Amino acid sequence: MKTSRKTDYAFLLPAVVVVAVMTQVPFVLTIIFSTLRWNLSRPDLPRIFVNIQNYWHFFKIESLSEIPEFYSILWQTILITGTTLILCSVLGFLLALLLDNDIPGVNIARTLMLGPFFVMSTASGVIWKTTIFNTTFGWYGVIAKALGFTPVDLVSYFPIPVIIVLFTWQWMPFFILVLLAGLQGIPQELVDSMKIDGVNWFQGVFKIKLPLIMNHFRVAVMLGLVFLIKEFGLILVTTAGGPGTRSYNLPYAVYMQVFSANTIGRASALAVITVVLTLILVNLLYRSIIKQNKKFS
Amino acid sequence: MEQRSIVAVQKSMRHKRFIKKWVLAIIIYAVAIFYFFPILYMFLSGFKTEQQAVMPSIFFKPTLETYKKVLSDPTMYQYLRNSLIQVIGGTGISLLLGVPAAFTIVFGRLKNKGSNDKYYVWFIITILLPPVAVLIPLFTWYQKLNLINTPYGLMAAYIGFHTPIIVWMVHSFFSDLPNEIFEAASLDGCTKLQQLYKIAIPMARTGIISAALLVAVFIWNEFFLGFNLTGNPTATLPVFMSRFREQQGQFVAQLSASSTIAVLPAIILGWMTQKALVKGLTSGAVKG
Repeated sequence: MKTSRKTDYAFLLPAVVVVAVMTQVPFVLTIIFSTLRWNLSRPDLPRIFVNIQNYWHFFKIESLSEIPEFYSILWQTILITGTTLILCSVLGFLLALLLDNDIPGVNIARTLMLGPFFVMSTASGVIWKTTIFNTTFGWYGVIAKALGFTPVDLVSYFPIPVIIVLFTWQWMPFFILVLLAGLQGIPQELVDSMKIDGVNWFQGVFKIKLPLIMNHFRVAVMLGLVFLIKEFGLILVTTAGGPGTRSYNLPYAVYMQVFSANTIGRASALAVITVVLTLILVNLLYRSIIKQNKKFS
Repeated sequence: MEQRSIVAVQKSMRHKRFIKKWVLAIIIYAVAIFYFFPILYMFLSGFKTEQQAVMPSIFFKPTLETYKKVLSDPTMYQYLRNSLIQVIGGTGISLLLGVPAAFTIVFGRLKNKGSNDKYYVWFIITILLPPVAVLIPLFTWYQKLNLINTPYGLMAAYIGFHTPIIVWMVHSFFSDLPNEIFEAASLDGCTKLQQLYKIAIPMARTGIISAALLVAVFIWNEFFLGFNLTGNPTATLPVFMSRFREQQGQFVAQLSASSTIAVLPAIILGWMTQKALVKGLTSGAVKG
């Protein structure tokens, strides 16, 4: 019995140690770094402990007419993530309903729609930017001209909507996948009895099907949130955070702090803020899930 | 008379249903093709010459010229090789670490009751951690140790971030196995190691393979760490794609061919994993 317990730990602990060393330990170090003044481009300057000054640098509001950039970056992060999640939920649910129909070849349609989810974000960003959004050579430009409009450069005039569209394109397949699995888990007898009872489409979908797949909805939104908030590559290749900082999100701001400003302390503070924001949002979502669960049960 | 009208009504209803079904089918196909169009167009444009690719078009005379050009570029091979090293090493080691860990979490008897769940939750929470949280210390370490120019640094980071995903998904597949088999096996003198590789792994084989393929796709596509923790000799395909426009310029056909090479393996592997993906995600998270 004792040796078997030893094997249990021998199976478990390597994974725990490796994961801790590569994720948790660096995160603790990030928290420590966030209290230092440390400039990578000036190795001659000592690293000094500055307490919460790095955080204060971002949060401090000196006058109401000049709200610091940090707040707009925070807002952009929430705006991009939130809008994408809402679009993915609404459109994803409708498309999952559409794909839940038993028609010949529906599996091919499902498979095609899942495709964008597995495309690396840098590739999808570059492809959309050159073959779709380009004002002279892209489909958008050609179609707009054919219809008699002058195409505006969407990527620089509407950076955030463009990013939201691309994120939605990439993440909606995931929502469809999970929600469709939920819809197909609804027992056939229930669907049949709905028909017999003369439930109309609207009632059937929103009063019966939607509550039944609520758990799947939550999984999709939760994971979507966790993955969207850390997106970086797509922003880099489409708008590069611009114009100015208008399409930065928090990970992008961390990247710029490290590699452009070389300020390790401030970058670490931003990284910690990103993690805290993620945890707050996940927690809020989780709580609303528990509340909803109580309502339904 | 009445008989005939009922037949007629039935016939017209069947007719209506038939039409409805096909209208629906056409809508679904149209939506799916429209949604997939950017990828489809990329795939098509790879078979164009650069002149053909300047203006958007769907009908053209296909040629392999562009692919030949892209594949004769040695830098492309370097990125491809780096990506493969990361995928194979990262996925392989994540499996070696994650599968036994999941086995202990599901079937092991740890000292305290409830610690199995605690470890499980700990792994799940780690999935929530965004890579920005670890970038800065890893970057400073790797610079000091010159790990930036070797594949090992990035691979270690990938292992740290993907082992929890393996644990999470494989946990859901192991949980489906009946506990009695392992009790019987241990009564027969089967060691834990034998139970793992003679019983558990073969029984959960398809699930484990799908989890591995999914992690392979994630590593293949990962950009943030791959971009910030590699140097020129170790950069992976997503980094290549992000630099394409500045390095190669606005060549639509070349871009399309290169991105097809970068994207197609992930799409195909992804399609193969979709069922396991749903199961792994929902069974683990729906309860929690």
